[in-house]
Parts: sequence; structure tokens; C-alpha cells
Amino acid sequence: MELVGRSHEGRGSGDVAKHELSQDIKTHFRVCRFIIETGVKLRMRSMPVATACALYHKFFESADLPAYEPYLVAMAAIYLAGKVEEQHLRARDIINVCHRYFKPGCEPLELDGKFWELRDSVVHCELLILRKLNFQVSFIHPHKYLLHYLLSVRGLLNRHACARTPITETAWALLKDSYHGPVCVRHRPQHLALSVLYLAMNSYGVELPAGEAEWWQVLCEDVTKAEIDAIVSELMELYNMEARCT
Amino acid sequence: MDRDLLRQSLSYHGQSLFMGDADAPGGTSIVEQFVARKADLLFSPSWKSTSIVQYELQEETSEPYAVMPPLEQFMEVPEQERKDLFYRDVERGDVIIGRITSIREFGFFVALICTGGGLERDVEDLELTALCPIREVPSTRSHDDPLSYYQIGDLIRAGVKDVDRYQEKITISLHLSSLCPSMGKTKLGVISKEDLPLHYSRGASDCCESYEKILESSLGFSNPTNVDVLLVKLGIDETLSPSLMRGLQKKHFLEEDFADNIRKKQSASWALKCVKTGVDHFKAGRHVEAMNEYNKALEIDTNNVEALVARGALYATKGSLVKAIDDFELALETCPSHRNAKKYLCQTLVERGGQLEEEKKLVTAEGLYKKALTLDDSFREAEDALRKLQMHIQKTLKLREQEMAKEQEKAKTVETSAEKLRKILKEEKRMKRKRRRSSSSSSSSSSSDATSSSSSRQKSKKKKHKRRHSSHSHKKRQRRVSSHGYRSDEEDAEESYPAPANTSASFINQKHAVAQLFEDERSQGMSKSSGSFCASSAAEVLEDSRGRFEDDPFECSPCPAEPGKAKDRHGDKCLGSKPLERDVNGRERVAHSDHRKSDTPHMVCKKRVSSTSESSAHRRYSSSSAGSEYSHKSETQSRDIHSQGMSSHRWSDADKKESRDSRRSEGNGHRSCNDYSQKSRRFSEGGQKKELPSNLVDIFSQIAQFEKEKSTKQKK
Repeated sequence: MELVGRSHEGRGSGDVAKHELSQDIKTHFRVCRFIIETGVKLRMRSMPVATACALYHKFFESADLPAYEPYLVAMAAIYLAGKVEEQHLRARDIINVCHRYFKPGCEPLELDGKFWELRDSVVHCELLILRKLNFQVSFIHPHKYLLHYLLSVRGLLNRHACARTPITETAWALLKDSYHGPVCVRHRPQHLALSVLYLAMNSYGVELPAGEAEWWQVLCEDVTKAEIDAIVSELMELYNMEARCT
Repeated sequence: MDRDLLRQSLSYHGQSLFMGDADAPGGTSIVEQFVARKADLLFSPSWKSTSIVQYELQEETSEPYAVMPPLEQFMEVPEQERKDLFYRDVERGDVIIGRITSIREFGFFVALICTGGGLERDVEDLELTALCPIREVPSTRSHDDPLSYYQIGDLIRAGVKDVDRYQEKITISLHLSSLCPSMGKTKLGVISKEDLPLHYSRGASDCCESYEKILESSLGFSNPTNVDVLLVKLGIDETLSPSLMRGLQKKHFLEEDFADNIRKKQSASWALKCVKTGVDHFKAGRHVEAMNEYNKALEIDTNNVEALVARGALYATKGSLVKAIDDFELALETCPSHRNAKKYLCQTLVERGGQLEEEKKLVTAEGLYKKALTLDDSFREAEDALRKLQMHIQKTLKLREQEMAKEQEKAKTVETSAEKLRKILKEEKRMKRKRRRSSSSSSSSSSSDATSSSSSRQKSKKKKHKRRHSSHSHKKRQRRVSSHGYRSDEEDAEESYPAPANTSASFINQKHAVAQLFEDERSQGMSKSSGSFCASSAAEVLEDSRGRFEDDPFECSPCPAEPGKAKDRHGDKCLGSKPLERDVNGRERVAHSDHRKSDTPHMVCKKRVSSTSESSAHRRYSSSSAGSEYSHKSETQSRDIHSQGMSSHRWSDADKKESRDSRRSEGNGHRSCNDYSQKSRRFSEGGQKKELPSNLVDIFSQIAQFEKEKSTKQKK
């Protein structure tokens, strides 16, 4: 645990916006960023990374930050997510990447007693997460909803216009970025997918033919425009946070 | 930034996009802010999908993801708009499904039902029709009107050939060429109801079900890997890790931070530690523990250079030189400039070379020494060892050359005319008859009698053609015979023989080959193949001179030691085998007598060796048949393999033999003939340009003799 450094920030960065960002939220944001970065370096697929973030958010819904070391929880969440989503990662790799994240450019750890202690702590924390979440560790993610929605929407568009407009990539990027915050666990996956797609289409100004019902209404019947807007604004907040936190 | 995209976005959002923080609250302003801030990412050209959307035929049996009915159906878009959309989006090369409504003489009309393949639209209620002109209907094999194959009401799958958007006319075609290449597997023509695409059947039946319900009830939706499949289909590349966060852009990730790279470095250092402890063990003499440590290190990090070098050194010390060499080479592959590895490798190679030398594997030893020298030029030991070995090889080579030269002198044939060949063939025939008649004789005398009789017959045959040559060759033959006779008794013939083209390698191989051949011969007994060889040699002999057969009982003796054996076919082997054979043959007089009759030197030796107890006549027969075959083969062979010097000569010989061959060749061993022809060719190459089959026969027999001797010696 001595490996992991706490982020000590100064209070109040002069932000007088309506949304007061507490330390906790910032910490969570940073840790989620850490999870996603580690996921990239471990060459994880999108789903295991999403599961790891979801596990982390769910854990800290009921836990207090001072009581648990967030980065350790994050490492354990990654380890556990790999097992849940069938992309098994080795603890050694996770520890290596994390060690390097905190001490960039340093030599890899020696495989000595200290290393084994670290590994032990990760494994113990994993067990802790499991208990905290009542062993409910499988999530339904919005990813497959998003992909199917994309297919259907693409069918409505002219194929050339669709090829020119990168709504697919944008929507996917938006979805992945949404895991920085707890929005992923606070809404239904269909709604999140829909909102992300809505935002992507809106950014490029893509218009779909109007019918009796709106396309997003058709894709998911119980969503309302207000909800979509709410989710979109939450997503925007995350991007704002990036500027403030990192 | 992509201007088109930007323009599109601007037109949608309007002016407010430029205003930055809009006063009006609400989602749109936030979106506009977002767009403005992330504009460089959103509109960058590299953001676009690089893969062109390829429409592929969906396998209806498997459903990797949920196939949904077209969205417009759920949205209940008005008809006119759908029509417009359809005409906007349908293109040449799409697959369309419809029902035949009427058949005319110029084609048939189809009411469109839906699209198949990539574009998923359901247009049944739009009441669109398309025409399939008669020229687009593939003709059936019968000469009937192709349209008669179709009936009203048939479901047709066709490709869109042409779309006229303004007049709203679609022309379809039943030719596969109208489709794009990726849809090549589609079956066009009449289809059944089961073949209707899934999106249509799903949409048609469940028009009251919601999108969500249909989605969740689809089998493809529960497929755990549907995300991966769809990512590929939609063209999203996960490795590029798209993100709109500034900090997560790809350029911020260093390659060395990735898990596998760190792991490699870690493993390398861990392995090094193990190697160090292993080396300590090694120095203290505990070889077993050292080996364990090295193996452990290599398990942690395969191809670790230090571990390989250390293990190689351990192997070398223990004596398993081959394993040591492997390890060193592997280490050098990874790190070619490793000093220790090179040094140890050189030493081990030289040591191994020494081992091989003792085992008489001179060629391999030489190779190893050379390799050691290429690695390290200044390695004295390697140089010395190489030099010694080369001298040793050269000595033996020289010996052989001398023997072969002696043989070559004898083989001074001068044949090149078809007549000679004819004569030879006749002789062969005679010999055959003679062989049949005469009883098996193991003694050379009897065989020589037979030979003489046969040769006399042959002589008569060859009257017209052989005069001029015969006398000359006769004399030569006599000379050769005598010398051959002597030689056959000696092991080291002292004829000068031009050096073989190749290095000792071939020489050594020849030796072995010849010895093996001899053994083979013996084991074979009276093989037809050998007979054929004999025949060919006999043919050769015959063509030269009448007196040949008489004078040169040993003509056939230098049978190349490899009749019937498709071994070395290099010229040098031939050379090498000659002296051997000669000597061996000398030991077996019986062979000699046979050789007199047989043409091919190959066969002769063999014959002799294999069938001491057989009748000379029989041998002669076989040799003549072999000869015929040989001539066949030799012709082909000579053309194929070598064509130096004697080649032309050889061919002429072959010609002669060929005529004979045609009469008898069949059953004879192909290989033997081939071998023989090669051998004779080789002989001719290696030696003088004169082509005298009898010479070869001689030489070969001598070689065979030598080989035999050698083998017997080795046996001892």
C-alpha cells in the first residue's frame, strides 16, 4: 500500500459554478481515469473495462472514501472484471502497470517479498469487493444496445452519408468516456446507449426521417426526452471535470 | 477538420454554435458547447471509419447479433417519404426480392417486397415494381424461352441493375454479375418463402411488437460475443481506443508502459538472477543445480541470451556438444554480437568437428570447421583443424582420382554412330541368347568363354561399322584390359584422373555410395536392373569394337556402384566410385566376365557382385537389356544432368542402345539405368572427353571392386 500515493489537492480551485465538485467526486474521477488508462495498457476490451468501472462505482456507493484506498480498490476491480468478462488478466501485469503509473519511467518491480505482499493485498481487496456487492458482479452494459441501435439507425440513412459521418466512432467514444462517472450505474443501459447515440447524431447534425414516433422513442419505449437530456448533460459534466481534475 | 461534416453540423445547430456559452439553458446549448470544444476531435479526418462498409450476405442460419426489422417500420414513416428514401438509397448491385406479377415477351415485372443483403428495407406496401428484361434472365440449357421457367407469383431474388430515380424505374437482373463482388454467393432466381430475409419475416409477423421486445427475444442478442462481431461489422477498431477525453488520446500512451512490455523486462531481469545463481553453482561444480537454475531461467524468459549461453557452456563441459551448439546458435540468433556466445560456439564447433573426424564424417567435420572460422576468423585452432582435415581429404581424394584416371584411360570409346548402336543392340540380343543357353558359371573362365562366344557373335555383327573404331578401340581395350586386370587387383590405381569438380564431400559420398551399392548388389541377386545395366554396358562395349568383349573382360567391371540405387547422382560420385568398383571388381572375376558382355559399367559390377553363380549368359542378357534401357535412360539422363564433354558421346551411345532398348527394355530397373547413365556420364565428365562405354564398364567394375573391398574391410 505504500506504493500508492494519495492525491492531495488544494481545496477550492476557485470554482464558483453551481456544481460544487467535492473532493470525493474528483478522486473518483481520477481513479476511473486510472482504471481506463490501465485497461488500455493491459489491452483490455471495452466490456471488461466497463465492468471494472461499474464495480468501482457500485462499491463506493455504499463505502466511504477514507475507509478504503481507492486505487487498491480500482486494481482489485480490474482484476475481478477480467475474470467476470472472460478476459483473464494476471495480477503481475496489473501490479506492473499500476506501479509504473505512479512512478513513470522506473524499472519494473523486482519479484521479491514486497511484490508478493502487493499481490496479496490485491487479492484480499477483490474478496472485499465481492462481499460488499453481495457477489452480484455481472452487469448488463449498454454496449450491445448501442451497437444494435447503431445498426438500425444506419439502415435508415443513406449508406454514403453514413460512411462520411463518424457517428459510430463518436458514439462509442462517448460511451467509453461515460464510465468516468457514476452515470453508468445510475441509469438503465438502454437509456444510456440511446443518450449517447442521440448526442453523437446531434453533434454531427444527422437527421433521421420523421415518422409517427421519434426514432429514439421507437428504440426504447420507456425513455423520455427529459431523461435523455439529463444524461447528456451528465456526460457533458464529465468532460468539464477533465479540465478541472487533470 | 472535415469541412463537409462541419458544414452539416453548423446547418443543424445554427448560429448558436458559434456563441460559446449560450444564455439559454437546455440541452442544445450544452451540446453546442460540447461540439465547439471537441470540434477538433469530432471533425478530424482520422476519426472516420477507415473500413468501407461492405455488405455481406447474412447467413440466415446463424445469428451472431440480432437482426431487426427496418426502423422505419416502427417509426411509421409515411409512405411517400419511405418511397423517396428507398429511391434515394437503393443502388446498383443491391439485392432485391419481389414477386412476379406479369410475364411479357420482353421480360417480367416484379412487385418488390424487400431488399436482401446489406440494405434492409421493407417496401412491400409501397407497391413498387421493377422490370427484369429478358436479356437479364440467364438462359437455361434448353432452347426454350427462358421466361417459361418462371411463373406468376414466384418469389424472385434479383440484383438491381439500374435505378432511375426520377422516373422511379428499377431494372433488375438475374445475372450474378450485376451484384457487387462481396455478395457473390447469393443465389439469384426463384426462392422459397424460407429464403426471405430475417428482417422481413421478423417485421412482417410482429408488426405490433415493439423494437425492444423483438430485440430482446432475438437469439443473436444473447450471444456473448455479439459486441465483438458488431464492432467489426461497424468498423470500430478497439485498439485505437477512441475517446473524446483529452487525456486519453492515443498519443499519450507510451509503448513501454504497456503490460506486456513491462512483463518482458521483468522476466528478463528475473531470469538473469537465476542465471547468476546458476553460474555460481556451476563454478562450484554443482552441475545439476546449475542446470536447474538455467532451466528455471529459461522457463521464466525463453530465449534469454545469458541463460542460453550459460546452459550451452554447461552442456559443452558435460560433453553433449550438439545440445551446446544448439543453445549457442539460438543465443546468437537473438543477440548476434554476444562475445561469449561466439567464443564458446567456435570452441564447441571445433571440438565437435574433432569428434566427427574420428567418426570419419569428414564432410560434416569440415563444415563445422568452416562455420567456426566464419564466426571467428582469428580462431587458430579451427584453422589448424580445418587445414589438417582438408589435407587428409585431399589425400584420399587424390588417391581416388588416380584410380579413376586409370579407369578413364581405358574408357576411350569413339562411338557416335547409329550403326554402332545397332551393332550393340544386336550384340545384346546375341548375348541374351547365349546367356540363356549357357549354364550358370561362376568361374570367370566359363564366363569368359561365353563372352568370347558372344563377343564373336557380336564381332560378326559389328563387322561393317566397327572396323575403323574397333581396331583402335580394340587396342585400347587390350591395353585397358591388361591394365584393368592389374588394377582390379590393386586398390590404388595410379592413373591420373582429373580432379572432380566438387569438394571432398562428393568424394566421400561416392565412396560410401559405391560401397553401399555393392552391398546392395549382392543382396539383390540377379536383379533385372543390374541386368539392364550390364546390357547397357554391353551395348557400349559392343559399339566400340568387336574385340572389346574378348579383350576386355573387365570392361563392365567398373560398374558404378549404384545401379538401381537412386543415390548420389553427382558426377563426383561417379568418379569416386570408379576406382572403388574397379578394385572390388578385381576381386570378383566373375563380374569381369560378365562385364565383357555387358555394356554398362554399372551393371557389370553389380552383376558380378550379385550373381557370381549365375550364368554369364544370363548376365549378358540382363546387361543387354539393361543396356537398352540404359541407353534410353542415359539419353534422357545425359540431357538432364550433365552435358559436359562426354555428353554428346554419351548420347550417341544412348542412341545405339536405344534401338536395342526398344526391343527389350521394359522390365529393367529404371533406376539402375538412370544411375548407370549418370555414372557413365559422370565418368565421361570427370575424365577425358573420349567416350568409350567399354572404358566405363571397365572403370565401373574396378570401382565396384574397390568398393567391395572397402566394405569387406569395414566389416572387419
